[in-house]
Amino acid sequence: MAVTSPLFNVLWDEYILWSLLVGVITFGWLYHHSFAYRSNDGEKADNVDDLTVGVFPRHNDNLKLEVAWTVLPFLLIIYLTYISWAPLDHVWSAPGSEARGDECLEGQSSNNIFYEDTGFVNSECYHVIELTGQQWFWSFECNPTVNSEFSQRDYNLSADLCAVSSQMVEGYGMQPVINLKAGETYLLVMESEDVTHAPWFLQLSTKEDVLQNQKTTMWLPMTEVGDSLILCTEYCGDAHSVMAAVVSVHS
Amino acid sequence: MNKEKIASRTLVIFVVLLLGMVAVPSATSLPTGVAGVKDSGCNCHGAVVSDSVVPILEGLPETYNYSEVYTLTIGFTGGPADPSNINQGGFNLWVSDGEITPSDASVQSWNPNEVSHTDAGNDQTMWTVDWIAPANDRNVEFILHANSVNGNAGSSEGGTSGDEWNRLSIQVASPTVILEQANPYTVLTTLIIVSFVLLLMVLTFIFYQNNPESFDWENFAPWVAGWLTTTDHKRVGTLYFLAGFFFLGIGGIMAILIRIQLMEPGNDFLTQDQYNQFFTLHGTTMIFLAAMPLINGAANWMVPLQIGAPDLAFPRLNAMSFWLQPVGALLIFTGVFTGTGADTGWTGYAPYIVSETAHSGTTMWVAGQILLVASSTLTGINFLTTIAVMRAEGMGWMHMPLFTWSILIANLMLFLSIPAFGVGLIQVYLDRVIGTAFYDAASGGDPLLWSHLFWYFGHPEVYVVIVPAFGIISEVIATSARRSVFGYRSMVYAMAGIGVVSFIVYGHHMFTSGMDPTLRFVTMLTTMLVAVPTGIKIFNWLMTMNGGSLVYRTHTLWALGFLVTFTLGGISGMFFPSMAMDLHFHESYFVVAHFHYVLVGGTVFGLFCGVYYWFPKMTGKMLDERLGVLHFLTAFITYNGVFWPMHRLGVWGMARRHHTYFISVDEVRGVDGEVITEAVIGALPPEAAGWNMFITVSAVLFFFSNFLLIINVIISVIRGKDAPADPWGGWSFEWMTESPPPTPSFGRFEDGEWHDLPVLRDANEHIANEPGKLAEWFNRLMVADKEEGGN
Repeated sequence: MAVTSPLFNVLWDEYILWSLLVGVITFGWLYHHSFAYRSNDGEKADNVDDLTVGVFPRHNDNLKLEVAWTVLPFLLIIYLTYISWAPLDHVWSAPGSEARGDECLEGQSSNNIFYEDTGFVNSECYHVIELTGQQWFWSFECNPTVNSEFSQRDYNLSADLCAVSSQMVEGYGMQPVINLKAGETYLLVMESEDVTHAPWFLQLSTKEDVLQNQKTTMWLPMTEVGDSLILCTEYCGDAHSVMAAVVSVHS
Repeated sequence: MNKEKIASRTLVIFVVLLLGMVAVPSATSLPTGVAGVKDSGCNCHGAVVSDSVVPILEGLPETYNYSEVYTLTIGFTGGPADPSNINQGGFNLWVSDGEITPSDASVQSWNPNEVSHTDAGNDQTMWTVDWIAPANDRNVEFILHANSVNGNAGSSEGGTSGDEWNRLSIQVASPTVILEQANPYTVLTTLIIVSFVLLLMVLTFIFYQNNPESFDWENFAPWVAGWLTTTDHKRVGTLYFLAGFFFLGIGGIMAILIRIQLMEPGNDFLTQDQYNQFFTLHGTTMIFLAAMPLINGAANWMVPLQIGAPDLAFPRLNAMSFWLQPVGALLIFTGVFTGTGADTGWTGYAPYIVSETAHSGTTMWVAGQILLVASSTLTGINFLTTIAVMRAEGMGWMHMPLFTWSILIANLMLFLSIPAFGVGLIQVYLDRVIGTAFYDAASGGDPLLWSHLFWYFGHPEVYVVIVPAFGIISEVIATSARRSVFGYRSMVYAMAGIGVVSFIVYGHHMFTSGMDPTLRFVTMLTTMLVAVPTGIKIFNWLMTMNGGSLVYRTHTLWALGFLVTFTLGGISGMFFPSMAMDLHFHESYFVVAHFHYVLVGGTVFGLFCGVYYWFPKMTGKMLDERLGVLHFLTAFITYNGVFWPMHRLGVWGMARRHHTYFISVDEVRGVDGEVITEAVIGALPPEAAGWNMFITVSAVLFFFSNFLLIINVIISVIRGKDAPADPWGGWSFEWMTESPPPTPSFGRFEDGEWHDLPVLRDANEHIANEPGKLAEWFNRLMVADKEEGGN
């Protein structure tokens, strides 16, 4: 299974392209100048700027060039901000928005639509599930308390949509497994019992901190079938590195 | 009493105090330690250790046979246990290797290494378990805690009163004799002591070298006392360099221990607990005890020389700033040698830092940091004042050498941001020591407050350590290319721009926190903006070479190397503000790669460049160019070998601050369809293991390549060529004085006034425009020189 999500890959490719361009210009320039102006005795050119000890040397500048390499990088970052905007809006869309819809009614499916060119996943509705972080394990809850801030649901999710089990994971020991269904979107409502944690859903390339006394949320739009890991990515003490869980997505 | 005697006595008092501090036992709040059940005993039955309870563990051989199953009998005698009680006792058995399995319902397994009694087993004083011996050579340790109870659970006096427990530890040897694995704490301590002794030997040798005839205590004591009590900016600068390089080595040793742990998947060289402490101290040491002192060393040496001042404005304050650092360092390291050092990460995120699970050494770590905050604040006052009022005649703000500008801006940033950190540290200290609740969410505290205070300081801080490197590179590239730096004014504005923007970008460290999304979005925009001034600087440096005569010296190579690594670090930095990517990168090795590219490839390379550039000025001796070039080539190649592959590891899913990682394995089936290799879910693809090994090998090589600099310095002190006043052809004032410069660095003090201070001339014709409007306004804030009777 791919480690990074399509949404990530689209942005990554674009950024790598511009990085290569900036790199080629900078390193090409550096390469050229470090050899073209090389001199063993320092006498290749005259002392053009009157370098004398104790005298502030003659200015060596060119306003047009300096403005050019202020404005051009500025335009580039405006463009990079622009292309980052829509993915940002997508990963943080609010419940009820066009991309996410409202909470699913009983028997309703998210019917996720995956857009290959942008990596976006739109859904008709979503299911609310809960995650609690604690030193040093995760616990999932498929059927959270009803009428909370995030869910008005009055029915339980079927085991096909969400089920919690556990499994031995090599190196990590016995770990919880959250079984979800491909094609469905979940809103994960998270809270911590103690210190700050952060689940990194490797398959979805996303993470969000889990805090004490404050609920945070994260979208889990499932498209691909397979098992992947959740790691803790906010340092939480002794067993931080083995605080893991498995996301198992079935069709 | 003469001056030497006073100095000698001060030295003796100082040494006694120092020994006293080391002798005072390190602080541990629990007599039993805080590491877990196997160390703390039965945590559900109070902390009364009693010799009347005698734990029994029978059935163990002297040496085990591979994979043999042994039936062990666990029990105890003594204590309040009595057959008439409702309950009689319990136990917890931990084994370092092999596997323990319960043989009946009175025992339960926590994990293959640890078992204890069940509720049903609460009424017994004897239990049996099976132990499967390891299949390989290990010296196995058993730790048994037995709990004798009086059965008053649920009664009105409280369930655990009067219960007693005791601990038993038994070793079982491996079938063949094996060497004990070294304890990483011992390794670290030994290496630190060896480094310190080597440093003292080198210093003694330098004293001997100065004058072989007077190598005796009568001359040595005042020499040492002179160094310890000095207020001369050049000597304090040298002390900063010594401390900085010493801690760069210590931080490097910890980095190597970390890399040995990570060289293969599932390695057990360091335990999680040791790893947590090592990366915390690695980060803290490198930023606060290595990078900052090295920068202060360069600034102490060069700022007064560059602006034509006799010394800093407050020389005694300067000495105090320095001496706060070793004391702070001692506090920061307190705890690690007993296994209870700070384990919070250098960011020390709340609420973990105030929780009971954080080690007791964290309190000392916080206390040490508070001293470093005081040190940095005093340094800030000193440099800001010095640069504002002690510039030579004719040197307007826009005539200062760029290194001085960089120190001005770095100290301005530090001075304005570090109070937030200080406040946060004091709050954490109070939370940990006297039970306030600034960060305890259960009592209404706010865990995110720490992240805000820390990063409000933390982000300017990383610019504080990189901006002085910009200053050094500007000086070196211009001098090496025999040109005046391209776009002096835009260089200054770019640095000032970085200084301003640094205060409004810090939220990018908190993109995945529970912070308000609007604030996250704003800091995304400002973070993108940082690329503009940084880009200006890089292009200006490149343009400086244009039309010049680029002379290749060691420092030139380091400056060109800096341009490569810093540009790469800058480009990778542009990936983070794009939020949808940051959600993947946050706390991954991509971040580790990025900040090591800017902090090692930027700050450390910049400082190495500065050391090669100014060493002849500071010591009056030339360094060996061939060794210097060898140092650059080996360090540059191995450095990239260490950090470049980390980008890919981060994208694959390697998380930072994890003491180990596991790789995914696909199921492999034989011809008959039988499973040969089981499928394993890991975070990383199989090739990640090879790359981690590659990184570790490169890291060891990088570590040792830097010894070439130390060897070079020692050789130069012994038989280096004498340096002329201006070996490289620089224009600024430091090249006007002799090498090494006299004390006071410029002028002479007679009749309450300074005479013969240097005057700066300007090769440009627009001198009438100086000082500009802004500078005039700023100058009005300053106390006028003449009316106050000298500066």
